[in-house]
Amino acid sequence: MTPSIRVDLLKWLIAPLLIINLLGALLIYMLAWAPAQAALDQNLAEVAYDLRMHMKEKGAGIALDLNTQSKRMLRITLSGEIRFVVQGSADRLAGDKDFPQLILPPNLNEPYPYSGKIEGVPMRIVALKTMVGERVVYIGVAETLAKRREIQSSILLALLALEAVLVVASVAIVWFAVTEGLFPLQKMQGRLNQRAVDDLSAIEEPHLPTELTPLIGAINGLLARAQDDGKARQSFLANVAHQLRTPLAGFKAQLELLQAKYAGEQDTARSVDLMMLSTDRMVRQANQLLSLARADPTRFDKRGLDIVELDRLVIESVQHFVREADKKDIDLGFDLHPARVKGDHFLLRDLIDNLVDNAIRYSPPGGLVTVRCMQDESASRLVVEDSGPGVPVSDREKIFSRFYRLDTKVAGSGLGLAIVADIAKDHDADVLVETGPNGKGTSFSVIFPGIVQAGGRPASEPASAV
Amino acid sequence: MHVLLVEDDAVLADGVSRILRGHGMAVDVAASGTDADAILRHAEVAVVVLDIGIPGIDGFEVVRRLRARGSGVPVMLLTARDAVEDRVRGLELGADDYLVKPFAAPELVARLKALVRRSGTKPVDMRIKGLSLDTHAKRARVNDQPIELSAREWAVLEYLMQQASRVVSKEQIVNAILPWGEELTLNAVEVYVSRIRHKIDGGGIAIRTIRGFGYMLEELAE
Repeated sequence: MTPSIRVDLLKWLIAPLLIINLLGALLIYMLAWAPAQAALDQNLAEVAYDLRMHMKEKGAGIALDLNTQSKRMLRITLSGEIRFVVQGSADRLAGDKDFPQLILPPNLNEPYPYSGKIEGVPMRIVALKTMVGERVVYIGVAETLAKRREIQSSILLALLALEAVLVVASVAIVWFAVTEGLFPLQKMQGRLNQRAVDDLSAIEEPHLPTELTPLIGAINGLLARAQDDGKARQSFLANVAHQLRTPLAGFKAQLELLQAKYAGEQDTARSVDLMMLSTDRMVRQANQLLSLARADPTRFDKRGLDIVELDRLVIESVQHFVREADKKDIDLGFDLHPARVKGDHFLLRDLIDNLVDNAIRYSPPGGLVTVRCMQDESASRLVVEDSGPGVPVSDREKIFSRFYRLDTKVAGSGLGLAIVADIAKDHDADVLVETGPNGKGTSFSVIFPGIVQAGGRPASEPASAV
Repeated sequence: MHVLLVEDDAVLADGVSRILRGHGMAVDVAASGTDADAILRHAEVAVVVLDIGIPGIDGFEVVRRLRARGSGVPVMLLTARDAVEDRVRGLELGADDYLVKPFAAPELVARLKALVRRSGTKPVDMRIKGLSLDTHAKRARVNDQPIELSAREWAVLEYLMQQASRVVSKEQIVNAILPWGEELTLNAVEVYVSRIRHKIDGGGIAIRTIRGFGYMLEELAE
């Protein structure tokens, strides 16, 4: 079972409370029982005195004049069986024969109560030393414990009831106190739950209880380290991609020379072509990893974003798109209307590149790909439609996972749509996957909510791109 | 066409220079920014291919000094860092285009040719396959047979030839042929292009329509 602060606190608070309650109950029991016992003993002593009234000095002996009615009265008025004995210093004068030897009290007329047994039955006995005329007489009166047990039971019952109430009240109070005590934790949990998945910023809790401060300090330390690690990983990834590019460029240039030189020799040409294919895949993978590193939402800084015109971004890459589409004889078309968003120029271009690349990649040769952008009163949209095999509804979430590929026959990095998803997230944009127009292919829409008022053209407009 | 290639990676420099020579260009290679700067002070080149991350003074500084001297030599930047500030900074400093490594040789060649075409004096004659333009006399020939073009048709065809193998939008065509701000609808551009197509038919080149965008003049495969 997982440890619980609540249960632990309850255990540690309730167990001692119960022991203290029990000790208290014991004390109460003793305090309540002692006067009851005394009163009952006093009653028994009264019987002894009554017996004394019926005694007379008769010569050398003592006569006990106890008629049946008196006997009955004595036995009836007192609940339970009453037994008695009357004796002198040594000799038994009257009473029950099986009454055990009396403990003789030292003082005159001071009833001495004690517990004993008659024929194995536990009894309460009161011994009284008294004078009948000149003679010292000892009277013993014994009573069964029935009455006392009854009183004991009712005291115990009352105590048990009290105890039960106390226990329930304690548990309730402790529960409430613990809940109240844990409330700051709950509040913190709530606020932590509301955080974005990738939010690694330090926790700033107002009115933090002293006890939680070190914990939050430790968590913040951890978050800071995670953030640093993330940044280090990002810059490492970016460096790797950068460092890969120059040698890859050299490799590719040399392969291109070989390609030109051996175009006529079938076997060599085939090998060089395959090497070129592998190189291009390596290049693309490196580029995609770099793109992914750049798009990482944990690294994205929303401050200082430009106003970016989506239509211009598409135009910037138009040469590249047409070249790629030509390789597969795909009819690439455009439907571009002014559409402004606030965002990062290069990331948004990565987003468009990846969507278009994806559409070309998954469309059959001779297929149709259309890139649209537009703006209405609520949002700017970028739409890329292809005539590929379409994405089954059940896969429409999965295709945005890293390295998830719908069709393993098509060479792809498995990162393109993950990059799209990351960049869209950076820009608070939604990506919608739908069946394409006329029920064929796929339509990817990136919806950038809100309207961005016209600003200047972004400064980063490469003059030569168009 | 004289190219100065500034690249410190020996393998890449070797490959690129051989590719460019294969396209009939004369190539000098400099392995550092300092060397490049020295060469550019004294030699006339048609275009500079400049890696940003080079030893000595970096590519940005080479461009800055070049422009500071008032030189209009077109500069193509090469960068392994596609990120962001580099491109912007290079272009702001006066570079004309950039390529992210690794790049495809045909793309480099096409862009270099486009840079040279756009820069400075236009070549008097342009020729692609069977289509030749005499820009001085504003005469066009297909397979050495003169064709009749209106002034507007001529301007459109000249622009498409300058931008051969590149996609140009209809707006670009309008802006290129009407620098004085006359009104011309995009539909009119379509009409001109359609007429030009008929006239250059059989010349081994075609004007391709890029749906919803514009046109691209390209050589037809053999």
